[in-house]
Amino acid sequence: MKMKFNKLSVLVVLSTLFVTGCSDDDNAPIIDETPIEEEPPVEEEPPVEEETPDAYENGILIANEGPFNNGTGTVTFISEDLSVTEQDIFNKVNDEDLGNIVQSMAFNDSIAYIVVNNSHKIQVVNRYTFESVAVIEEDLLNPRYFTVSNGKGYVTNWGDTSDEEDDFIAIIDLEGHTVTNTIPVELGPESISANENYVYVAHQGAYGQNNKVSVIDPTTDSVLKTIEVGDLPNSMQWDAQGNLWVLCGGAPSYAAEETNGALVQIDATTNEISQTFDFTTIQHPGGLNIDGNELYYALAGGVYSISTDATELPTEPYIDGVSFYSMTVNEGKLYGTDAKDYASQGDLLIYDLETKTLTNTLAAGIIPTGVYFN
Amino acid sequence: MNYLQRLLLVGLLLFGKQVFGQTDSVTVLDEVILTDVRLLHFSNNNTTVLKDSVLKRNGSSLTDLLQFNSGIYLKENGLGMVSSPSFRGTNASQTAVVWNGININSLLTGQVDFNTIVPSNYDDVQIRKGGGSVQFGSGAIGGSIHLQDQIQFNSGLENEIELFYGSFETRGVDYRISKGSDQFTFGFGVNYRASENDYKYLGTDQKNENGDFETININGKVGYKISDKQLLKFYHQTFLGDRNFSGTLTAPSNSKYKDYNTRNLLEWNHFKNNQVQRLKVGYLYEKYKYFGNNDRPEFSFGQTNTFLANYDYKITVKNLIFDAIADFNHVNGKGSSVADAKRNTFAGTLLFKHNVSSNLSYDLNIRKEFVNDFDSPLVYALNLEYRPNKKNILYVNGSKNHRVPTFNEIYWITGGGSSGNPEILPESSYQLEIGHALLYSKWQFKGAAYYISSEDRIQWRPNDSGIWTPINISEASNYGLEVSFKYAESWGQHHLVWDSGYFYTQARNDETNNDLMYVPKHKATSNISWSHLNWKLFYQLFYNGSVYTTSDNSDELPDYSVSNLGVSREFKLNKDLDFTAKFQLNNIWNKNYQNVAFRPMPGRNMQLKLNLNF
Repeated sequence: MKMKFNKLSVLVVLSTLFVTGCSDDDNAPIIDETPIEEEPPVEEEPPVEEETPDAYENGILIANEGPFNNGTGTVTFISEDLSVTEQDIFNKVNDEDLGNIVQSMAFNDSIAYIVVNNSHKIQVVNRYTFESVAVIEEDLLNPRYFTVSNGKGYVTNWGDTSDEEDDFIAIIDLEGHTVTNTIPVELGPESISANENYVYVAHQGAYGQNNKVSVIDPTTDSVLKTIEVGDLPNSMQWDAQGNLWVLCGGAPSYAAEETNGALVQIDATTNEISQTFDFTTIQHPGGLNIDGNELYYALAGGVYSISTDATELPTEPYIDGVSFYSMTVNEGKLYGTDAKDYASQGDLLIYDLETKTLTNTLAAGIIPTGVYFN
Repeated sequence: MNYLQRLLLVGLLLFGKQVFGQTDSVTVLDEVILTDVRLLHFSNNNTTVLKDSVLKRNGSSLTDLLQFNSGIYLKENGLGMVSSPSFRGTNASQTAVVWNGININSLLTGQVDFNTIVPSNYDDVQIRKGGGSVQFGSGAIGGSIHLQDQIQFNSGLENEIELFYGSFETRGVDYRISKGSDQFTFGFGVNYRASENDYKYLGTDQKNENGDFETININGKVGYKISDKQLLKFYHQTFLGDRNFSGTLTAPSNSKYKDYNTRNLLEWNHFKNNQVQRLKVGYLYEKYKYFGNNDRPEFSFGQTNTFLANYDYKITVKNLIFDAIADFNHVNGKGSSVADAKRNTFAGTLLFKHNVSSNLSYDLNIRKEFVNDFDSPLVYALNLEYRPNKKNILYVNGSKNHRVPTFNEIYWITGGGSSGNPEILPESSYQLEIGHALLYSKWQFKGAAYYISSEDRIQWRPNDSGIWTPINISEASNYGLEVSFKYAESWGQHHLVWDSGYFYTQARNDETNNDLMYVPKHKATSNISWSHLNWKLFYQLFYNGSVYTTSDNSDELPDYSVSNLGVSREFKLNKDLDFTAKFQLNNIWNKNYQNVAFRPMPGRNMQLKLNLNF
């Protein structure tokens, strides 16, 4: 399976390199699939009150992957009242480019960690001023997502994409901004999220496919357990009761065998599966979010909602006729991104979840992949 | 050089390929020397011939040659890496590369990598602007690049060795030999090039990493006169590339690319009074291997085999020329992501030219292809030429052209989020061009204006299930203006040639009304060379206007101009032995520029060449 996916990267290299941007017909497939993003797991802390707020203290941050072949990802800032949009704030502040394929962002106190996949680095910035604090470059290989636990950073890494055995979690010293240790893990670690006891890693499978969640003990930095969930787990959320919800996309129609998606609830006290909702074989959901007691996910051109105490999956979409590159739910609003033709500035679309209407459309950067809140 | 050759040369230099009132002997000679007579009789009057000193100056790659000597924009992924053209604002698969009359665009990608062609090995390289699908097949939309070997009898034994060494540990050896008797002639050339290619990215503390390459190119040709009326020709070309693909400003790379191309063509010619028959058989092979990580054994590959047969019958009756061509082409391909793909193409072409009077002619061309895996459109062209006097040429032409879907586009195996599309249609385009040439003995001026309307342009887009697949989606309109000026002057032992061009291009996506990416509105070139006795000096430059790097025109690369300066001195060691030392300074103003975003090109660099001719 993994080789199959790698062939795709060859198409990208051959057709896009050859055609490199020769026109707008250069949209060879993007390798980077995870179209849907989970909300950053790190608790937000209110900024220390100062007389004048920092430039990016109140508002929305959008991580934009940037063009696939050659170019840089960017971060877009949108003010809280949505009246001001500022593109590429990292470059504006630091006069340098973020790097190629900005994958995700995570926060710890006043620091933001921007994970840059294809440049194999993490840009560490002040989340309110966007001034660069450090760059973590050593001992990362295809980094994906970042979380903080037990005073340390944990970063999922695919390793070399043609090697299925070298995937790992890098452990970051948050003071020294270096990788201090690595934990070898199963193929394709993607989303990562922590509670006060453990770090959970969803193994979507990188260019191949996988169906596990690893549980890491941050006191020993070793894998405590792997839990088999559905195929291609793509996003995770915590509910108010402390359960971990894992959304699995299932193997797509073009895989060797198409399999169903699943919504899985893990009891974090026992690390056992407590509930599984199976989708049909041709249903491949993604983009799990939570707002209060409502879970939201995207499926086949619609957004669905399910209560954390529901006993079965909804049959009708909550909002129909919408399709996003990534989706984030926050305080009654849904933030969807539109990557358009993947070679031009995308949009941020804001929906009011109560009225189910589109309230705002704002310009983002190229391939907007994640929405975060300052 | 014999008399006829000189006559031909003079003809070419002064009038391009359209020499009116040619003597029969020249015509026959052309037909003997050249393989692609369609360029001679059925061109659209807008062909630029690059040869001799131009090929020597910028002959190391097609990229280098066309950058300084044409209006074509070249996108090079770093020096020596994969390079593709944008001709009149079209994309890389809309430029046909024609090798001795054979279209050699890859059936996997639809394109030719312009860094895999060594122009100095050919007798001439011609740039034919505008649509030419009738004569040259798929992809001749923006124009076509013709690589031409000439078969010359009665030429002495010539050997040439050139060694060169330059910045970034670039080194190479070229060797050429040729000889022609009454009946038999052959030519052979081999080029070896290698470079560490680790140039500094100006204005940064980075350098071009993982950009080293090594290439070998071999060309051969043989001509044999079976009788006065019958002639056999054989052409061969092989390219072997072993290149690492360099990183970008924001991302490292450790990938590697190996490619192998070989082309063989055997041609039988029969001349009888006013008739010429040609039978060609050819075999082309291409293969690439792409290593995502050059430390590991895993690779992906693609390969194709092409077998072709072509019969061409031409008859001249008074002031009419008829040419009928039947073409058969079988291609099979396979690869990591292309299942066993096969394509059989049968094409019939009719070309007709009428010289109405000594100053008026027109030609009508039509071609229909029958292909097993899609419907190919009827393509046609009409050219009209008027010469009010010997110094003025006016022409107008219109054509319909096409670009066939590639194997990747049709047969890409579904998987990993992408899929080929068996329903895909060929891209097609209509175009119109008017032009004027003024030809004086010391100077000439050429101007042309064109309009291209393209439809069913193929793009990869995600479908409803999120799978990337090629679809016929967009339409584009390109128009532009091209002017060139050439001036040659001699006084005593001094010779001066000044050759300049300016190219205005507007290429627009009709859906969005945005300009197409990587098409500069303005490009200019200028070459000036001066020679005196054994000394030669040249200065050349090209200017690329800014280009958009996003499809919504939200981002762009700035404009720039790059200049080279070269000097050479020839030493005649004895009657049969010439030694030439050449020194060339490239990018003399140390311009920091990119023709593909985030892929900087080298700053000032130099090259020393030692050439031995015997």
